[in-house]
Amino acid sequence: MPPPALRCQDLVKTFAGTTAVAGLNLNVPAGAIFGLLGPNGSGKTSTIRTSLGLYVPDGGHVELLGSRDPLAVRHRVGYLPEERGLYAKMKVAEQLTFLAAIRGLDQAEAARRARAWLDRVGLAANAKSDTGDLSKGMQQKVQFAAAVIHEPDLIVLDEPFTGLDPINTRLLKDLILEQRDRGATVVLSTHLMEQVEALCESICLIHRGRPVLDGVVADIRAGHGRNTVAVEYEGDGAGPLTDLPGVRRGEDTGQEARLELAPGADPQAVIRAVVDRVAIRSVRLEHPSLEDIYLERVGASSSPAAEDAS
Amino acid sequence: MNPSQIAKVARREYLTRVRSKAFILMTVMIPVLMGGYIFVMPVLFTSSGTDELRIAVVDAGTGLAPALTGQLAAIEQPRIEVAEQAVVPDDSEGVRQPYTEAVLDGSLDGYLVLTPDPVIGARSRYYARETGNPVMLRDIERAIEATLLDRLVAGTGVDTERVRAWQRFDLDAVTVSDEGESEGGFEAAFFSTFALAMLLYMAVLINGQGMAMAIVEEKSSRLIEVILGAVTATEFMTGKILGVLGSGLTQLGIWVGALLLGVLYAAPMLSMGPELAEFDLGAVLSLELILYFSIFFALGYFLYSVFFATIAATCTSTEELGQAMFAAVLPMVVALMSSFYVIANPGTVATRVLSLLPPFTPLVMLARVNVLTPPLWEIWLGIALLGLGIVASGWLAAKIFRYALLMHGKRPTLPELMSVIRAG
Repeated sequence: MPPPALRCQDLVKTFAGTTAVAGLNLNVPAGAIFGLLGPNGSGKTSTIRTSLGLYVPDGGHVELLGSRDPLAVRHRVGYLPEERGLYAKMKVAEQLTFLAAIRGLDQAEAARRARAWLDRVGLAANAKSDTGDLSKGMQQKVQFAAAVIHEPDLIVLDEPFTGLDPINTRLLKDLILEQRDRGATVVLSTHLMEQVEALCESICLIHRGRPVLDGVVADIRAGHGRNTVAVEYEGDGAGPLTDLPGVRRGEDTGQEARLELAPGADPQAVIRAVVDRVAIRSVRLEHPSLEDIYLERVGASSSPAAEDAS
Repeated sequence: MNPSQIAKVARREYLTRVRSKAFILMTVMIPVLMGGYIFVMPVLFTSSGTDELRIAVVDAGTGLAPALTGQLAAIEQPRIEVAEQAVVPDDSEGVRQPYTEAVLDGSLDGYLVLTPDPVIGARSRYYARETGNPVMLRDIERAIEATLLDRLVAGTGVDTERVRAWQRFDLDAVTVSDEGESEGGFEAAFFSTFALAMLLYMAVLINGQGMAMAIVEEKSSRLIEVILGAVTATEFMTGKILGVLGSGLTQLGIWVGALLLGVLYAAPMLSMGPELAEFDLGAVLSLELILYFSIFFALGYFLYSVFFATIAATCTSTEELGQAMFAAVLPMVVALMSSFYVIANPGTVATRVLSLLPPFTPLVMLARVNVLTPPLWEIWLGIALLGLGIVASGWLAAKIFRYALLMHGKRPTLPELMSVIRAG
């Protein structure tokens, strides 16, 4: 097994008395897509910045691509920060060329790749526009291109899907998979659990600066057993299915419901009760989704307020 | 530090600065304004409105009117036509009444009243609607002086031309130093110090401010996180400052080029006033001065750019930057103020100390070089200390950069910055 692309050991980072990262251990296997999850303010961004050497850790250490000094391997890393920014008054192609060049490419090669990437993300016609004149989604594609243009071994994407329409979301997904197929390791930080389930092989869920769950996605889900009944039904206002006996908790939109079974409850009995109550279109007994697990681990203990200082 | 990374950042910064509207506008406007000031103002002064003035000479008992009329005829720009000579008993309002009316109805542009004076022979007043043209008033004054002088020396055998020559007596100041003697003195010192201050101020303000704004933009857009993932804070800062330095030197080059072109081609073509004809450019612009001027411009500009960059790194919005910028400009204002003192007191201890303090060295040392050239070792000590000042402030700036660039929302406090500097 190759050494991990990123390893954090007992990582600590504090800001003026506030602990953002509290003794975090993280292992990102090389060559895979890794999900870094957690609610707002859980320390994801601080973990990323410290891992990349933008912050100096207050405790523990980081091993990035096998190096204890993250800055020494900076040109082998691509980073898309959560808050997006580009030089507004710079031409798109020039900007991409510049961002490629400071990653160690020579000017001619940087310009060539910038052209190729603009073509790839459908912005060839905008090469000579001022970047500030592009739409948000277009700028985001430019930034993604900037993060991968130097073919880094590790790509860190902080909320890459925010603000993208379905077509561009699909494009970005394909581009991420393409990077993995090229052999790169991708760290994906996002709130969108469907994207994580679709893309990530393993994850780490951080809460309050500590990992609360990590491992391979399939193992995590299997580890929770088939304890969830997923129902699609004809909405008839028969009242929420979550109050059926044997259901510990769940979610019911009036057309779809996900019901987590109480420990020891008989799934067959719950399904029978559902069939008695509503006209079903489909019913499945499943592993819990990552979202279910996420909510279970994080939801109860976190209040949405006072959680916006990453 | 990786030079090629610095070069890439510098190249981008340079191109951005040089292509900015502020740069293009100021680079063109400054020579145009300066040229306008130097070449157009005298022309405007000498030809204010009319080419010819109709005036009356009203003599209240001096008997000088005919002689004065002859002197006035020699004035060329504007030509003065004496429409009437009159002898009157005194200069009371009633006596002057008809002439005042003539001025008001426009048949006369003005009138000159001569009254006797026991010591110098005559006093004179000029009444007109427009009395604001200093060149014309001076010409009239000289005509009266000449008339009085002619009468004073009449019959003594003294040559009035020689007396005139004595009147124009001028004390030439020669600065003596180890390198020899040089003429110039106050005017040259004042001129070049002020010019350096202006150019430095303009260049720093236009380019430094542009860079500072860009740094704040990079911070607030978080682009800085991507850039700092590729270059170190020190490389980033050095590149930015070198780019700004390059744009400033480009600007200076264009300005100096425009000045030389102006002097070589424009000046002879324009009829300049007697002042400018006497102005000896060679005496003011020695090779030595150009050398020191360039050194102090480059180093001063460098130092102030570091100040700007550092201050920008600690700001999180352009509003904050606007307020903080004052702190970067302040030393330059103080230096300019104190250089007036230095020109007047070139030898004092205060002057010598001031000229060795890096933020003040560019202006103050240049002023000293001009007035009373200090020993060579002192000049180069100043330059060396300035260089050290740049290195030291660059080193401090790099630390502050690394820390402050990734801070958002609030500005780092001074104690925080101090602890960052101590921590290394």
